[in-house]
Amino acid sequence: MNQLYKKKLKQSDLYKHGHFSFVVSLLLATILLVNSYQFTTQTWQLSLFLIAVAYLFVTIFQLVLNLRTRRDILKYGNIQRKTRLLTAFQLGSLLVGNVFTATYAFRALQDDGEIEYTFAYYMFLADFLIIAVTSFNLFKPYVTNYFIPVVFSLAVLLLLDVIVLIWLARSKSVSRKSTRLVRLLPYLFMVTSLTGNVFRFILGYSLLLKQGKRDPANSERWQLFWIKLTKRFTAMIGLLFVIFTFSLSITSFTTFVTRFAVANDYTVLLTEPSLVYPFGTDNFGRDVFSRIVFGARISLIIGMLTTLIPMIIGGFLGAISGFFHRSLDQAIMRVLDVLYAIPGILLAIAIIAAFGSSTLNLIIALSVGSIPMYARTMRANILMIAHLDFIEAARALGESEWKILFKHAIPNGFAPMIVRATLTIGTAVIATSSLSFLGLGVEPHVPEWGNVLRIGSQYLETEPYLAIFPGLAIILLVLSFNFLGDGLRDALDPKIN
Amino acid sequence: MLENLNQNKLIKGYRIVNQHPLLNWLQCLLGLPIFLIGYSYFLYMRKKISYSAQLQDKVAQLHHSKQYEQLLTKYAQQYKHKQHYFNRRVEQTKQDAFARAQANQQIRKLAEAELSKQKVQFMSFTTFFEQLLANRNFVILSFVLGFLIYSLYFIYQNAFVRFVFERFIMTLFVIVSVIVIVFTILYISPSDSAANILGESATLDQRLAFNKQYGLDQPYFVQLWRAISGFLRFDLGHSFTGNEVILTSIANRFPVTLILAITSLFLAVCVAVPIGMVSAAKLNSFWDYSFMFLALIGLSIPSFWQGLIFILTFSIRANWLPSSYSPNNLFSLIMPILVLGTGLAAAITRMTRSSILEVMHEDYMVTAKAKGLSGREAFLGHALRNAWIPILTVIGLQFGVMLGGAAVTEKVFNIRGLGSYIVDKQFIPDIPAILAGVVYIAIAISVVNLIVDLLYAILNPRIRAQLKNN
Repeated sequence: MNQLYKKKLKQSDLYKHGHFSFVVSLLLATILLVNSYQFTTQTWQLSLFLIAVAYLFVTIFQLVLNLRTRRDILKYGNIQRKTRLLTAFQLGSLLVGNVFTATYAFRALQDDGEIEYTFAYYMFLADFLIIAVTSFNLFKPYVTNYFIPVVFSLAVLLLLDVIVLIWLARSKSVSRKSTRLVRLLPYLFMVTSLTGNVFRFILGYSLLLKQGKRDPANSERWQLFWIKLTKRFTAMIGLLFVIFTFSLSITSFTTFVTRFAVANDYTVLLTEPSLVYPFGTDNFGRDVFSRIVFGARISLIIGMLTTLIPMIIGGFLGAISGFFHRSLDQAIMRVLDVLYAIPGILLAIAIIAAFGSSTLNLIIALSVGSIPMYARTMRANILMIAHLDFIEAARALGESEWKILFKHAIPNGFAPMIVRATLTIGTAVIATSSLSFLGLGVEPHVPEWGNVLRIGSQYLETEPYLAIFPGLAIILLVLSFNFLGDGLRDALDPKIN
Repeated sequence: MLENLNQNKLIKGYRIVNQHPLLNWLQCLLGLPIFLIGYSYFLYMRKKISYSAQLQDKVAQLHHSKQYEQLLTKYAQQYKHKQHYFNRRVEQTKQDAFARAQANQQIRKLAEAELSKQKVQFMSFTTFFEQLLANRNFVILSFVLGFLIYSLYFIYQNAFVRFVFERFIMTLFVIVSVIVIVFTILYISPSDSAANILGESATLDQRLAFNKQYGLDQPYFVQLWRAISGFLRFDLGHSFTGNEVILTSIANRFPVTLILAITSLFLAVCVAVPIGMVSAAKLNSFWDYSFMFLALIGLSIPSFWQGLIFILTFSIRANWLPSSYSPNNLFSLIMPILVLGTGLAAAITRMTRSSILEVMHEDYMVTAKAKGLSGREAFLGHALRNAWIPILTVIGLQFGVMLGGAAVTEKVFNIRGLGSYIVDKQFIPDIPAILAGVVYIAIAISVVNLIVDLLYAILNPRIRAQLKNN
């Protein structure tokens, strides 16, 4: 029996999650603590110190929870009610912005809950973070006209999230209840996901699949995929941050004042971080915090486009070269080999040197460089699939070759492309900001992360925070995409399926 | 004799070349004089010693020999015995006909055997040419004319040499194509170099003179040919600004970039492979998770930001290392090497772990364990040896990414390397300098990939076996 429990502990994803949250919280607390101490003046910076203490407290509480969970599993084989109740207090860690422990708490409260519960609490977290970040605008001299109505409706949505969360946590099975209100709920979710909170859309779609009279196999596949993905909490936290960034870039249209990010203000040159300017101001008196928020939009758009364009072109080239005649294959792949031999950044530099530096040219330059990679991925998939029976069957039924390629071969070989795309969005974001850092690509006045960092790098000695914060933003976004990509790869792996 | 023919390397090469349509064309092109000589000789010989004529000669010759008489009596005897056995009457005419038919048949067989003993057989041009190749005197005599084609045969007779050769040709093709592509991109640029460099105030005559000086007034193909031949002759001309000789600028700047890249590569391999091994061996342990988390962070850090943070921490705050590069101070290379190596190390660590994990589930690992090897022995002797191959591929691929990324790192640490040269020149934009810089880096990458591919062929037992079987 004891052996069994030990094995159970080892396989418990919740326990792993708790451990991970503990380590990351400890790391964050240490970093904050070290940074709150000024070595030069030997003084403590009070606000940072208080946050560090709060993080330390959360970390210790997490350790207690982990130890209790471990004991419970080893002793009883499952987590006891008392421990679960104790976990509820860890939800408070959200107030200091620790999403790792917060997700743990949500998960531990309803470990065997349905997949919708998971969507609901991530949806809640995303909404919460958006409101938290947006509310920094309250310290500014003035806010936009739409600020109050938008934040108010976001708060209403947050309240709705809480209600849905409690409802989902209470009810064991979603599908049984079908009052009229419940039937309308998915549509409501889908409409309100216009704020950019994709979790809300996913939840709505999932509920719709469950209560609808659609193909049950479809619903099952959807469930299975998400169960696998949500098992990897790192992937989900990555997804959370990506969706948060996405949602923030949409809501910032109405809640952030553009002037603060782009207009020069010579009264506040290079000020220290404060509540009004959380990340300080740059050499033109522009608020770096607002610039980073606006930069998220540009980084995301460029990242997505430089992934999507080569994915379509490269995917198409790879598909036809894998599916059709050998000589076509040879011709296409040899040409792409040549492109592959030039490093992406250098090709981009050459293209920008020839056509001038602008955002459009940057997108083209970065896209051209990654066409061969997608083509190779797609070609390898198609080569594998082209010999399978269902292709043969389609051919026997007299389908045209193009139809077979687009209706049967490509959809079945697309999963690795999605994984590759997710993993390379991060690379694209880095490449974009690297080129802006060098002064190529995005126009220098645009608040792109690389541009913001370039200005910061000139004041490294005196105002290092100007370079640190935009860099952190880049790392967080790229790291999130990488975590998500790793999770997707495992969830979509045909070997496991 | 036939054995001997098979062992001849030239003939083996000739047979392999003959099987590939493309190579066949190539050999016709390369060996045109040899083939002309060989074919006329063949036509002449065929007339002289046509096979059927020779055969008839031989048969007629055998008809008058004693052997024929013996055969006749032998078959007559046989016929008699047979009739006797079945208790039938012996008919003289039938007996003669039977004996003659059998004897003729036998004689023909004998004649063919005799001819083949004398190496005379029905001959196509292919076999004829093989015989010529086997003839040492012929090869020596025609060596000057057929040097190209003989070396082709020699290359193709050995699978490994052939692989190296083909890979080499491919590299050459890639390099030339890179020149074409980069040149074309820069050529179709809408900006006017003369106006850029001479400034707004330049007169039309000045611009025309500038275009003439750098050959920009010539048609596309002439300029392209000059660019390609320039690379082959190591004569890249002068840059637009400063009128410096491009080759010397590049020769001055390339060593730093290469040292940086190679040291980072070396360091990354030394750090990443053991870490990947530990992660794979202690799967799902605390160390595994921590290392993989670190590796993912290493992949996600933009190198310029990492460089800035390093400068901030180690140069500005702690004052341990110089913040920018100076050629005489080796310590100033430490930070750039670390920054450049981080992404590479992260990629190699992940690849090492996943490739070892993949190998661990192979059948031969089960066999190794069933044989009684301990876990450690099986891991070191079997898993690691086979896991090397994908790791090597990743190293080759990442080297290219690293050389591209060197531009950013060099800018951060103020290193005057090739990468920062290209970036500086692109602001002007100084077309010949950019072209030269990009192409030289591409050449370096292609050479590294060539080396990786060759190592791959030597290390990978599967490919080795495949090469041998061919």
